[in-house]
Amino acid sequence: MTHTIALYIHVPFCRRKCPYCSFVSYDYREADITLYLSALKNELIRRAGGECIRSIYFGGGTPSLLSVKYIGDLISAISSLSTVEEAAEITIEANPGTINRVYLTAIRELGVNRLSLGVQSMNNKELTLLGRIHTGEDAKEAVRFARGSGFDNLSLDLIYGLPGQTLSDWRHSLDEAIAMEPEHLSLYALTLEADTPMWRAIKEGSLPDIDPDLSAEMYELAEDLLAAHNYGHYEISNWARQGQECRHNLTYWRNLPYLGVGVAAHSCLDGHRLANTKSLDKYMDGFFGKVSPVLELDEEINPELELAETVILGLRLCAGIDIDDIRGRFGIDILLHYHQQVEELAGYGLLEHADGYLKLTRRGRLLSNEVFWRFLPE
Amino acid sequence: MQQALTRNFCIIAHIDHGKSTLADRLIELTGTLRREEIGEQVMDSMDLERERGITIKAKAVRLHYKASDGKTYRLNLVDTPGHVDFSYEVSRTLVACEGAVLVIDATQGIQAQTLANTYLAMEHNLEIIPVINKIDLPGSEPESVLEEIRSVLGYQPQDVLLISAKTGQGVPPLLEEIVRRIPPPKGDAQQPLRALIFDSRYDAYKGVIAYLRIVDGRISKEDRLRLMGQDTEIDVLEVGYFAPVPCPATELSAGDVGYIATGLKSVEECRVGDTVTSIYSGATEPLIGYHHPKPMVFAGIYPTQAEDYKDLREAIEKLNLNDASLSYEPESSPILGYGFRCGFLGLLHLDIVRERLEREFYLSLVVTVPGVRFSITKTSGQQLTITNPDEFPEPTEIEKIEEPWVKISVITPSSFIGALMELLNESEGIYKHTEYLGQYRSSGELGQRVRLEYEMPLRCMLTTFYDQIKSRSRGYASMDYELIGFREARLVKLSVLVNDMAVDAFSRIIPPEKAHEVGKAMVAKLKEVIPRQLFKVPIQAAVGSRIVAREDISAKRKDVLAKCYGGDITRKRKLLEKQKEGKKKMKSIGRVEVPKEAFLDILKLG
Repeated sequence: MTHTIALYIHVPFCRRKCPYCSFVSYDYREADITLYLSALKNELIRRAGGECIRSIYFGGGTPSLLSVKYIGDLISAISSLSTVEEAAEITIEANPGTINRVYLTAIRELGVNRLSLGVQSMNNKELTLLGRIHTGEDAKEAVRFARGSGFDNLSLDLIYGLPGQTLSDWRHSLDEAIAMEPEHLSLYALTLEADTPMWRAIKEGSLPDIDPDLSAEMYELAEDLLAAHNYGHYEISNWARQGQECRHNLTYWRNLPYLGVGVAAHSCLDGHRLANTKSLDKYMDGFFGKVSPVLELDEEINPELELAETVILGLRLCAGIDIDDIRGRFGIDILLHYHQQVEELAGYGLLEHADGYLKLTRRGRLLSNEVFWRFLPE
Repeated sequence: MQQALTRNFCIIAHIDHGKSTLADRLIELTGTLRREEIGEQVMDSMDLERERGITIKAKAVRLHYKASDGKTYRLNLVDTPGHVDFSYEVSRTLVACEGAVLVIDATQGIQAQTLANTYLAMEHNLEIIPVINKIDLPGSEPESVLEEIRSVLGYQPQDVLLISAKTGQGVPPLLEEIVRRIPPPKGDAQQPLRALIFDSRYDAYKGVIAYLRIVDGRISKEDRLRLMGQDTEIDVLEVGYFAPVPCPATELSAGDVGYIATGLKSVEECRVGDTVTSIYSGATEPLIGYHHPKPMVFAGIYPTQAEDYKDLREAIEKLNLNDASLSYEPESSPILGYGFRCGFLGLLHLDIVRERLEREFYLSLVVTVPGVRFSITKTSGQQLTITNPDEFPEPTEIEKIEEPWVKISVITPSSFIGALMELLNESEGIYKHTEYLGQYRSSGELGQRVRLEYEMPLRCMLTTFYDQIKSRSRGYASMDYELIGFREARLVKLSVLVNDMAVDAFSRIIPPEKAHEVGKAMVAKLKEVIPRQLFKVPIQAAVGSRIVAREDISAKRKDVLAKCYGGDITRKRKLLEKQKEGKKKMKSIGRVEVPKEAFLDILKLG
C-alpha cells in the first residue's frame, strides 16, 4: 500500500540574516543555489519513491530566492518519483521584498497554490528593528501581486511581543493585515534564542526586555479581533478561513509522517525522527556522492513517546484531541491514561474535556508549555 | 634525663599569619623531613583547612634538634586550631605545652585572634616567644609591629624575633630560643599515670587515635587504661609519636607528647580534655576539669532531594566520628522533609561542616537560617530550651526569654571606627570600651589601630555580621568573641506564609520593633526569587496572627512555544523535557514550586 506523506523542502538561503532568527539559513551563499538544487534532487531520488504526496512546502530561509526554473525542476522531479495528489497543497514561503508579479504568475502556473508571506509587521519602525529588507508598503504590493497572479490561498506571518512594541502598535499591524484579506494568518510571539543578535542587545540593555504579560495581551487582542473578522482559530499560532487551514502543517500537528529534504530538514518516517546535517557544505558533499549524507539525528520513537508526542502536538489544535481517534490509534483511553495530568490541568483551568475531545482552554493556549511537559513520559 | 631535653610548645597566630608555614620550616630545618617531602603545610591535612588558612584539628610532631650547646633536644610541636569557634580545643592544647611561639604578621600587626590566643596562653602560664613573620614581604613594617607588641602585649623589642617562615630567615635562632626560653616539662615518670587528651581522630583500622600529653607516669602498648572524665576503659593497641608520620614506640613517659590507638569506635567516647590514667592504682585527681564544649549555633540541615536523607544521615554520622563537637538530632519539617537539627561551636564550624557534607559526600543541601539556643520560661512556669525557631511558643505563652550574649572585640584602623560602630549598634551591641593599640601607626593612611569592645546577643552575630565587619572595613578589621552568659531578651517569632502556608524554614526570631522591616525585606526577596505560578501567590510575613508585610506574585500568563519550524518536533520536546527537569529540582510549598536557590537567598538575608 502506498502511504501518504507531506514533503518539506528546505531552502537555506537569505539575502540577509534577520537579527532574531535562529533558523538554519545562510546569507551571501546564493551562488551555491545551483549546486544545492542538484543536491536536493539527489536526495529526493535517494529518499522518495512511490509515496502519495498530500502537500509540498518550500520553507526557509527564503525559498522565493529560487528561480522559476529551479522550482519547476523540483516539482517535476517530485512528480516523477512520487504521486502528487491532484488537490495537493503546494506552499512557498516568500519574503515580500523578493517577489514580483511575473515571478508569482510563473510559479502559480507550475502548480504552487499557496503563498506564505513573511510580512512580520506593518510598522516600518518594527521592520527595521527586525532587520527585514521590506516595508509595510512592499507587503501590500506583494499581496496585490499575489492576487493578480491567481493565488487564492494566501497566508501572512506576523510577529508580536517585540522589544518596545505597544498594544496599539500591534493592533495597527493586525488591522492592516486583516484589511489585506488573507485566507490564513500565523501569529508568532517573538521567541529569542540565546546568542541571536537581538537577544544580546536585550542582555546588554540596548533594547528593552520583552514583557510576557504584554505579549499575552497582544495574543488575546488578536484572538478577539480575528474571531470578529471570521477567522477560525485552529492552532495555537494559526488562524484561517473555514477550510483553508494549512494542510501541510496539520500533518505535523496530527503526528503523521513527513519527509523533509535539504539542509537541517526533519522527517518523521516509519517510527523514526530524522534530521539532516545543519551544515550546507556537509550536506552538499553528502549528496554529491563524496561521503554519505549526514544525518544529524535518527531517533526511534517508542510507542509511549509517540503517544506523548501525539497528545502534545494534537493539543496545539484548537479542536483538541479526538479521544476516539487516540483509542483507535493507540488502544488507550487518554482520560484514564493521563488521569492525574488531566485532573491537575483542568483544576488550573488550562485543559477541558467536552464532546469527546480534550482541548486547551483560552488560558491554556497561552500556557501550553505548562500543559505539554506534564505529558512527557518519565 | 630525657625529660630535661624535651620542649613542648605550640604556635599561636591569627588566621593567615603564617603558623603552618612556620611549622613546615621547623620540620625542615630540624631534618625531620626534607623540603621536597613536606609538600605544603604538613600540619594541615584537610583540603578545607588549607583553603581557609585555618587548622581544624590539632596534631603533634616530634622534632629532634641539635642545639648550639651540643645536646640533642626532643621538640614536640603541638598544632592548635586557629579559630575562636574551637577555643575549647585551643585551651586543651595549651595545657599540653610549656611554651608558645606567637606569630604576628609583619604586614598586618596584632589582630583580634592574636590577642585572644595570647591571653589564653598567658592564662595557662605558657612561656611566650613573640615572632614577627613575613619580614621578606615588601609591605612589611616590623618596626611598627615591634612597637605595637611592646605597647599592647608588653614584650620588649629585644625579646621579639624577626623571621620569614617562607624563606627560613631567622628560623634557626628561633629554634635556639625555643630550647633556651621554654622550660622542660615537669612531672614524674614514677607517679601514677596522668595524661591529657588534647585531640582525637577516628581511624578505620585502629579505632580512635588519642593524642595526648603524659604529665606523670608512663604508657606502654597493651596497658589497660581508664578515661577519668567519661569513665571509659581502653586497651592500648599501639603507642607512638608523629615524625610526622606515625612512629610506633615502646612507651611514652612523663613530659612526652604522642598518641595511643584505642580501638574505640567513636571520638564521642574519647573526648578532648579528658585525663587518662591506669586502671589499677591510677591517679585520683584528673589534670583539669573536663566538660563537653556546648554547641552555640544551630541550623537545620536537609537534603534537597528527600531520597538523599539516608545519605545525609550516614555522612553526618561519619563526620561526627571525628568531630565530637558537632551535635545532631533528626528533625522533620513539613516543607523540607526529613533532616537534622545540628549544633555547632560557631559559624565557622557550621560552614566547615556544610562544605564537607557537600564536597566530600556530594550532597545537595538546604541549610536553614542559623540560630542560637533560647531559654524560655512559659507563663505556666514550664522551662523550655529552643534551638529551632519554629518551636518558639506563641507570644502570649511567654513569661521570659533568655539568650546567649558574647563579648566581641574588633580590631580596626581608626578610619573605619564610625562604620563599624554603626554596624555594632545596629546589631544590638552595647558599647563597652575603646583601646588604642600602640602609637607608631598613628601617622598611617588608615589611622591608628583601635580595639573596640562590645557586648551583644550571639543571635545578632549570625548570618551576615562577619561579612559586614569585613566589607565595612575594606577587609582590615578582625574580630573575636567569647560567650559571657545568658541575658533576658524581648523577642518574637516572625513567620513567613507562602500562599497562606507557613514556611517553617523561614521563621526567625527577632526583636518586635524589627518585625516590619525584616518582614518587608523577606517578602520582597521571595517575590523576586519565586517564579510566577499558574495562580496568584500571596506572600506574607506575620508575628502571631498579625501580618506585618505582604506581596503578591501574580499568576503566570504566557508560556508558549510559537513556531513548529519545519517539523522539528524533537527540539520542542527537548525544551519541554528541560522544563520538566527544572520542575523536579524545585521544592514544593503546598502547590507553590520554589527553586532551591530561593531558599538559599532567603537564608542569606541578615
